[in-house]
Amino acid sequence: MIARSQRERLLEAAIRVVAEKGYAAATVADLTREAGISRTTFYAMFDDKEGCFLAAYDGIVDALVRRVTLAYETEKGWPQRARAGLAALLEALAEEPAVARLALVDVGAAGPAAQRRYRAALQRLTPFFDEGRDFAPGGRNLPANTSRMAIGAVAGLISDEVTEGRAEYLPSLLSEVLFATLVPYIGPAAAAREVGEKTR
Amino acid sequence: MASESRRDLILAAMIRVVGGKGYKETSVADVIEEAGTSRTTFYKHFEDKHECFLAAYEMLVEQVFAEVTSNCDGAESWLQRVENGLATIVKLFALDPELARTAVVEVAAAGAEARQLHWDAVARFTQYLEGGRELSDGRELPENISLMSAGAVSGLIFDELLAGRAAQLPALLPDLLFAMLVPYIGPRAAAEEMRRVAATT
Repeated sequence: MIARSQRERLLEAAIRVVAEKGYAAATVADLTREAGISRTTFYAMFDDKEGCFLAAYDGIVDALVRRVTLAYETEKGWPQRARAGLAALLEALAEEPAVARLALVDVGAAGPAAQRRYRAALQRLTPFFDEGRDFAPGGRNLPANTSRMAIGAVAGLISDEVTEGRAEYLPSLLSEVLFATLVPYIGPAAAAREVGEKTR
Repeated sequence: MASESRRDLILAAMIRVVGGKGYKETSVADVIEEAGTSRTTFYKHFEDKHECFLAAYEMLVEQVFAEVTSNCDGAESWLQRVENGLATIVKLFALDPELARTAVVEVAAAGAEARQLHWDAVARFTQYLEGGRELSDGRELPENISLMSAGAVSGLIFDELLAGRAAQLPALLPDLLFAMLVPYIGPRAAAEEMRRVAATT
């Protein structure tokens, strides 16, 4: 077994502690205790709680984006690629409801830098949506912001479920998030056809 | 001065200060200085900063609502009402960037109760979107379509405010309108509305 670095351990501990206690209540002492590292080691790596949290947050996002990318790229054709990417995203979030809550809802409590990270994380999904432009008839004439709109719609649907404490049921939201992804590009009738099943 | 109006002064000050400094950085001292009231007056009305913020946020939501509904004539078409409502919000936010930041961005930093107030407000606005179903030619639209619409619009507004570009929001109105309409009427018809609004603003 490969020994994990102290940094990795600390970042994972930060996610667990913040998910459990909330960002405001979590202290550096909580993080070092959970990670089993010394205060000195902590401050050798990070200036403060915020720096550590942001690094941990980036780790969550990287892992999610990797998983989505992998699923997306195994398929051919945009609607199928989008479906696979979204399904992977919903499954990943459902596997760890506490992380999903932290990533999407509680991140706002960690201040403006964290909020910027959250918005930047969403923008990393833009290329997957932009492919809809080539797929859609007349897609070139859509507003430049179309992918951001679709992402906002998807994020709204997912955040609503997570806020209501239903993160573990996210995979059942696939029809709706797929519809939200497709609709700005191809309209409601074609989107409903692609979704291929009755929405609830 | 009547006690109620002093309370309102404190609430208005809370909205301005939080919008300018951020929720975390805001102290009760900042708020009473902005409001021109005493500490005693503040604590006569509120337990602490958090309680005051929640009350201020509720007032803010009512303000925005009153503004939006006063510009929404029930006799107009759904499309026209939705457009007017959106234009009102955008104008209000551009004129008062502090209010906008508090309403959309800083509320996320003020805890779970505050975020609930925000969600409730979004839900109240999305009710108005339900009328768009009639434009779908009898097609069955997803149950939560208004949430898609609201998510797309609020995402764009959030990014502008986070980047400190409240003043540029009115220029984004055509795009916002497209985002709001497209789940109901599709990209071609939504783009037409977008171009029509862009030509008149």
